[in-house]
Amino acid sequence: MSQFEEMQQAIIDGKAPVVKELTEQALRDGVKPAEFFPKAIVPAMNEVGRRMRDCEFFIPEVLIAARAARAATDILRPLLVGDEASRSAGTVVCCTVKGDLHDIGKNIVAMMLESAGFRIVDLGVDASPEKIVQAVQEHKANLVAMSALLTTTMVNMKAGIAALASAGLRDHVKIMVGGAPVTENWARSIGADGYGKDAPTAVDLARSLVAN
Amino acid sequence: MTSRERVQLVLQHKEPDRMPLDLGASPVTGMQVDTVYNLRQALHLDPPGTPVKVVEPYQMLGEIKSDLMAVLGVDVVGLSQRATQFGFKNEGWKPWTTFQGTPVLVPAGFNTEPDANGDILMYPEGDKSVPPSGRMPKGGFYFDSIVRQPPIDDSALNVEDNLEEFGPVAADALNYLSREAERLYSETDKAILGNFGGTGFGDIALVPAPWLKHPKGIRDVEEWYVSTLTRRDYVYKIFERQCEIGIKNLEEVFAVVGNRVTVCYVSGTDFGQQNGPFISVKTYRDLFKPFHREINNWIHRKTQWKSFIHSCGSVRALLPDFIDAGFDIVNPVQCSAAGMAPEELKKEFGDRVTFWGGGVDTQRTLPFGTPDEVRKEVCERLRIFGQSGGYVFNTTHNVQARVPVENVVAMYETVRQCGRYPLAGRPA
Repeated sequence: MSQFEEMQQAIIDGKAPVVKELTEQALRDGVKPAEFFPKAIVPAMNEVGRRMRDCEFFIPEVLIAARAARAATDILRPLLVGDEASRSAGTVVCCTVKGDLHDIGKNIVAMMLESAGFRIVDLGVDASPEKIVQAVQEHKANLVAMSALLTTTMVNMKAGIAALASAGLRDHVKIMVGGAPVTENWARSIGADGYGKDAPTAVDLARSLVAN
Repeated sequence: MTSRERVQLVLQHKEPDRMPLDLGASPVTGMQVDTVYNLRQALHLDPPGTPVKVVEPYQMLGEIKSDLMAVLGVDVVGLSQRATQFGFKNEGWKPWTTFQGTPVLVPAGFNTEPDANGDILMYPEGDKSVPPSGRMPKGGFYFDSIVRQPPIDDSALNVEDNLEEFGPVAADALNYLSREAERLYSETDKAILGNFGGTGFGDIALVPAPWLKHPKGIRDVEEWYVSTLTRRDYVYKIFERQCEIGIKNLEEVFAVVGNRVTVCYVSGTDFGQQNGPFISVKTYRDLFKPFHREINNWIHRKTQWKSFIHSCGSVRALLPDFIDAGFDIVNPVQCSAAGMAPEELKKEFGDRVTFWGGGVDTQRTLPFGTPDEVRKEVCERLRIFGQSGGYVFNTTHNVQARVPVENVVAMYETVRQCGRYPLAGRPA
């Protein structure tokens, strides 16, 4: 099994210490930091997404795999320089919207997006529209991903979109939304660009929104 | 026919005079306090400005008083411990105002402090000398737990740390349950739903233990989910001890409340997310089912209680195992989740389990629909779930804040109109 195949398997199996060790070893062997994404991390997390979609993996398995992937990305991100750093799949500002403190779903999406090669600016929970606007400007993000778990807070997604529009940023970012009470219809009605019903779908959606 | 008889008949999968209705008997079948206030005002039960009691401070559920029960035709009443999810007791009421400006009454231990953002912080047992355990965001409607996770040293993990909340039931708590069971049994004709606590394994709402001043063990939500796989033995041992303690406590509780209680709330652990279960069927069978079975076996051997499980989300894949583990009642029946279509659930499981909830979609129709859409959906759900008993009307989980009161009124009007047996369209 090649070094990268071994690493893929360790991510899928959720073995963070093994992933860390393999990453460090490969770097010592002269592998370039940017190579890990297309050759190990992205394919491993694609497989995790497939297993989740096919009901082979559930929340605990996905969390463990994502943590294992993070063991690699935590080492690799600071090493990406110049071109490599800017060659990420895109920069995503993600958050749970104002008034909402639930973040498990948002965290899983963020971890999977990161493993898919996106640069993540995670605003955490209870993120105000102003905070979203500021982060988009500061990090030149091309995607905003908003999450809500409550029927009482999903309405605040609208406020986020309105704030981006009045700051003149609406045409510069794509906006995707998700969370338990959120639906495709809701996403459309508030003027979002897409809805991710689960984490793997959110990753596919992010890829297609950035490509368009 | 009394409410109690009506509930007992549907639990035997028989059709009484009308479908029974629950509102407020459990922490998952109630109504947020702003909405209770609005409903009481709409029904002219109170002069404007009359406060409503917050009987469950974590989710900010409002009291469903006997006058409201009478107007709506509620058939079930809750028998609960006095201690709330923040550890203080439901007593010594004082005025408070919600972010929406609703006048409410809260227990004496409901001691809050604003933080720099204007969020409201809540303290375990109301003790402001320890770190807060709950937060209501500014403008919000509910509290969420503040996770207080001490650093985890795997070599020093001790199951007792995660068992602090599962001690033997105290003598004064038993006295209270005894008196209260007798009062509810003799002064009302309602079926009693017992919320005794201690038998929900790995309930994620309880893992952070907002009532404890210094929780130990694994208290972080994500870490807990991960631990169900990576620290399986540790979690299994917690459940084993919890099950032992839980059954001992049920024995003591049963000795004082007896069969005045009709339904026992056993588990509130959420096993479902919107699109499928949180965990695999295999994990359920290996880690949870043995303990569910043990509790339910005890209940069925020693009492006439029916066993109640609450799990949000898509749990179709787990329902056969819930039933096999001995649960008699499933709630909240989240029909908006994947694979939870009412007709299919009723057809596949309706003769073996009582559905308690699912009366209207609280994620979509009730908060965002029109009164006509609410009427249509409620009527359809009653027609489907009500066939041959085995159904107690309740919304899918608590009625939330910001729900238009005309939708709530439309829902209960429809229950009254469409909930009569024999069901319309069938011979008597």
